[in-house]
Amino acid sequence: MSKEWKERLHTYLPIIFLIVLVLLVGAYDPSFFSVGNFLTVTADTMTLFLMASGVTLVIMIGGIDLSIQAVASMASCILAAYLGRFGIWTIPLAVLGGAVAGLAGSLVSTRLRIPSFIATLAVSGVVLSAGYWFSDTRSINIPPDLSASYLSWAVGDTLGIPNEIWVGVVAMVVLSVLLQLTPFGRLIRGIGAQEQAVIASGINVDRIKIAAYVLSGTMAALAGVVMAARLGSGSPTLANEFLLPAIAAIIVGGTAITGGVGSVWRTFVGALIVQVVRIGMTFMGVSVFAQQIVFGVILVAAVAITLDRSKLLVVK
Amino acid sequence: MQTRKATSFSYLEQWRRWAPLAVLIALCILIGLFNPNFLSTGNFIRLLNSAAIPVVLCMGATFIILMGSIDLSVEGIVALTAVIVSLLVANDITTYKLGLFAVPVAMAIGGIMGLVNGVVHVKLKTPSFMTTLGIGFAGLGIATAILGGLTVRIADPTFRYLSLGRILGIPMAVWIALAAFLVALTIQQRTRIGAWIYAIGTDEVTARFAGIPVEKTRILVFALAGLFYGLGGVLAAAQFGQGHALIAQGRLFTTITAVVVGGTALSGGVGSVVNSIIGVFIVVVLANGMVLMGIEPYVQQGVQGLLIIAAVALALDRSRLSVVK
Amino acid sequence: MNAPSSIPALEVRGVSKSFPGVKALDNVSFTIKRNEVVGLIGENGAGKTSLLKVLNGIYQPDEGELLVDGRPVTLASPRQAFDTGIAMVFQEQTILPSLTVAQNIFLGREEEFLRFGLVSKARMNEAAAAELKKVHLDIHPGTACAKLSFADRQMVEIAKALSLDSRITGNITILLDEPTSVLERKEVELLFAIIDDLKKRASIAFISHRLDEVLAVSDRVYVMRDGKVVKEFDGKDVTEKDMHQHMVGRQLHTEYYREARQTACSEKVLIEARALSKAGAFRNVSFALRAGEVLGIAGVIGSGREDLARCLAGHTKADAGTLEVNGQRARFASVPQATAQGVGLVPAERKVEGLVAQFSVAENMTLAALPKFVAKGLLNFGAETAQAKSWIDRLKIKTPSPHAMTGGLSGGNQQKVVLAKWRIAGVKVLILDHPTRGIDVGAKEDVYELVRDMTSEGLAVILLGDTLEEVIGLSSRILVMRDGEVTASFEAPPGGKPTQIDLVQHMV
Repeated sequence: MSKEWKERLHTYLPIIFLIVLVLLVGAYDPSFFSVGNFLTVTADTMTLFLMASGVTLVIMIGGIDLSIQAVASMASCILAAYLGRFGIWTIPLAVLGGAVAGLAGSLVSTRLRIPSFIATLAVSGVVLSAGYWFSDTRSINIPPDLSASYLSWAVGDTLGIPNEIWVGVVAMVVLSVLLQLTPFGRLIRGIGAQEQAVIASGINVDRIKIAAYVLSGTMAALAGVVMAARLGSGSPTLANEFLLPAIAAIIVGGTAITGGVGSVWRTFVGALIVQVVRIGMTFMGVSVFAQQIVFGVILVAAVAITLDRSKLLVVK
Repeated sequence: MQTRKATSFSYLEQWRRWAPLAVLIALCILIGLFNPNFLSTGNFIRLLNSAAIPVVLCMGATFIILMGSIDLSVEGIVALTAVIVSLLVANDITTYKLGLFAVPVAMAIGGIMGLVNGVVHVKLKTPSFMTTLGIGFAGLGIATAILGGLTVRIADPTFRYLSLGRILGIPMAVWIALAAFLVALTIQQRTRIGAWIYAIGTDEVTARFAGIPVEKTRILVFALAGLFYGLGGVLAAAQFGQGHALIAQGRLFTTITAVVVGGTALSGGVGSVVNSIIGVFIVVVLANGMVLMGIEPYVQQGVQGLLIIAAVALALDRSRLSVVK
Repeated sequence: MNAPSSIPALEVRGVSKSFPGVKALDNVSFTIKRNEVVGLIGENGAGKTSLLKVLNGIYQPDEGELLVDGRPVTLASPRQAFDTGIAMVFQEQTILPSLTVAQNIFLGREEEFLRFGLVSKARMNEAAAAELKKVHLDIHPGTACAKLSFADRQMVEIAKALSLDSRITGNITILLDEPTSVLERKEVELLFAIIDDLKKRASIAFISHRLDEVLAVSDRVYVMRDGKVVKEFDGKDVTEKDMHQHMVGRQLHTEYYREARQTACSEKVLIEARALSKAGAFRNVSFALRAGEVLGIAGVIGSGREDLARCLAGHTKADAGTLEVNGQRARFASVPQATAQGVGLVPAERKVEGLVAQFSVAENMTLAALPKFVAKGLLNFGAETAQAKSWIDRLKIKTPSPHAMTGGLSGGNQQKVVLAKWRIAGVKVLILDHPTRGIDVGAKEDVYELVRDMTSEGLAVILLGDTLEEVIGLSSRILVMRDGEVTASFEAPPGGKPTQIDLVQHMV
């Protein structure tokens, strides 16, 4: 197989994989094939996609953000706790909370020169405590009237399509434009592929990195807000169990863990793959509890398959 | 000027060696001044008891961090082994009554999980944080799936004696943790693997040149860590008298905090299991002090997060790293 | 010891070793006789260290064979070399600070001290003490190496190699790669005494940049250049001057370096350095760089010239001294600050710091000047491609398109992309660190042509040449550095250039 073909196949492999999965699940249960069902599945995938979308940028620079589930949970707590008091302003407030968490993680990582997985792990502890503090360690229900007036943008329908999908698509377009068409996106790729060369070209690499982590926190918080809107409540453990599927979605979509290669549409496809696998497992009677096992294995396998080993001298 | 560099390096070493102990003593004095109950014998034994499981887990994690790797699978392995050991002793779900024979079985399962970590990490060359993240979640998933989200209650007093029994007024768990520490110390100081762990963590290329089987050592150390986590799972089950998938929640955080706060460098090659003991006590004393001062328990993870950042920032020799990811 | 002594302890026959873009060893033949000290000299990159690494099993030769005691062997690893009776003291230390002296000496060979599966520290320390005695190092073998000075660590490193002596019964060979660079005079003398004593039992190969040292200890000297052995001196009747002559070799052609295009530099000073110092790297360096000038800096590894270049490009900070740009005090504390002052570095490690291999040619070219290609916050791809195309034509870069991956180009074309990057960024001063390393002759000439283009446009170039002849051929002025200090300065107008020997005298 020529190199060019290999590359092309590598680009479209996640889409092919998704189509095969959909066909498999459809063969098992033909009712799976309906526009309505596709819309539901896609809408259900959007919170996962939103969480994974920002981390995609972090993984593209060769880092990782382990704080996203704590950030999303905290955002849900802020939303649920203060929606009655601050109204619509609670939403930017909750998202800002995520941005601050991302900023904290990135400052710890870049200024103190600490590996990102440990910096964001440490920050996630702080964020988790903050979530407990905002919610007073409880799960807080969002009254339906408040939800109707402030959160319909996330849970209603527009033009027959669930609003979650609109939110997800807008996020994908905005992030894709950032990544494909701006100098910021160019530098994200450059840092992931060869950070020293970017540094040596006189670019303030730390600023770009910080921006990536801030975006990651922001998107995770947005995911938390949408999650809270859908569930009608916020809680300090709302987004637990989301970190692994989010990272799996990114890697399965074809974004390389070693950095430099990736895109947000890939993560979109990856999130759909994760969701369809989940549905397929439920159809086949795999217990919800056992699904973590499958995701753990998929994650390791996807990392192993997509890894560019030529870039690794010593693996730690 | 070369010599000057060398002295400043060992100066840094000195600071690294004594800073954690100084922090621990200062903490004890401060909390003792605030609340004299802290210094009572009863509280001291309570401290030892709450340090027991973290110590066991840290013994495994220290070796991995000394190699410059990381293990995020602590909670997965502890939960899995706790659930399995609970099901193997007399309990309210299964009919096995293996008694204390369940302990080596659970530890072996921990060792196998660690072995899987090591083999995947080394053979597929996937970074350890990713490998152990995935395997850890798989372990957690297996633990959840076995019980279907339920809790199993242990009805074996002999098994529970492993944690609750007392010798010389000190809980068995503490004696077991002490034994685990002595084993780890022996491995670190008196075996070839001990020296090789440091060599790999400091400079893998030099280790290879010296003829050290780097791959085998890495795999073995991950398996060894799994054994310690397995023991940790056993102690957790014995302490709570039950097994469930959430039994290990927060353990990963405490373990890594303790290792790092104790002065073992994440970059590898610097630190020891003795450091980790000090680190565990810093974390435990702080948590105990916070309870005594009436601070909400949920703040602890936040404080631990800040501790990690502070400790790593103080200890890391940043001049060595040009690119941090 | 019962084999006839005419069989050399170690022999290399026709060994070649290539790395991508470079032939490190080219058909090298080399012998070390029994109980002999062989010196190995040559410029940086001549292949000395590569040769020792082949002898120590770190590199496996592409061609040729290795004979130990007349028997052909293949050495797959340094460990195997050790078991065959060959040990090496490395230029960059391999002593691990977190282990004790004894653990370092016996690293990977602990099995002889095992007792019931545990390492007997007492026996290991005892054995280590015996080895330390050989290098007259009075420290406890249980000391952590982190507590030792660099010189002491070097002695431990030597003791580690010498431990071969008591482990192997047959003949042994010790390879020493620049063992003296961190040692004080007294320790160097001690080392020489040890070598002298060791000769009764071992064969020794010795690399040093200090020719007087090589003369003092060697029975025979090999001179290497461009991966080949170019001269073998027998006996002690050789002078430093003879060695210089063979180290430098070829005469330079004025045509090759485009000397006719060498511009007389203007009076306009672009950068002035005053008493720049950096601990452990260089001291008290002053110079003025004028527009249209090529300032060559000559020196061996450890002379501090690489550190100086990185400091001028903002990669590291100087501890003392000042820099002025156009007469204004300027800070060069970071790369962005240096690039903002119009200074760019073309690094020696092209693939690490020069370019992003996964980027297209156009993307690499605009990397240092991205803001110039942004309109309304978005990248202007049309302008970028047009700019890239014009530089591809101008520099005769062979690439299928501006959008081809840079990693797929040849070394020479990659280097031109790096040069184009800095030209597009509009630098006024370009620092070239080994600009022609690992690229073919045609591309070299293109690079030289480019250097002349830049100076005739009023830019200034600081050149750390790949070879001395390159420095002499291209430069209009040359600074020579040794041990972190400028030891000489030469004007080099066309027709009045200093010779290589003039420079080498001040380098080593």
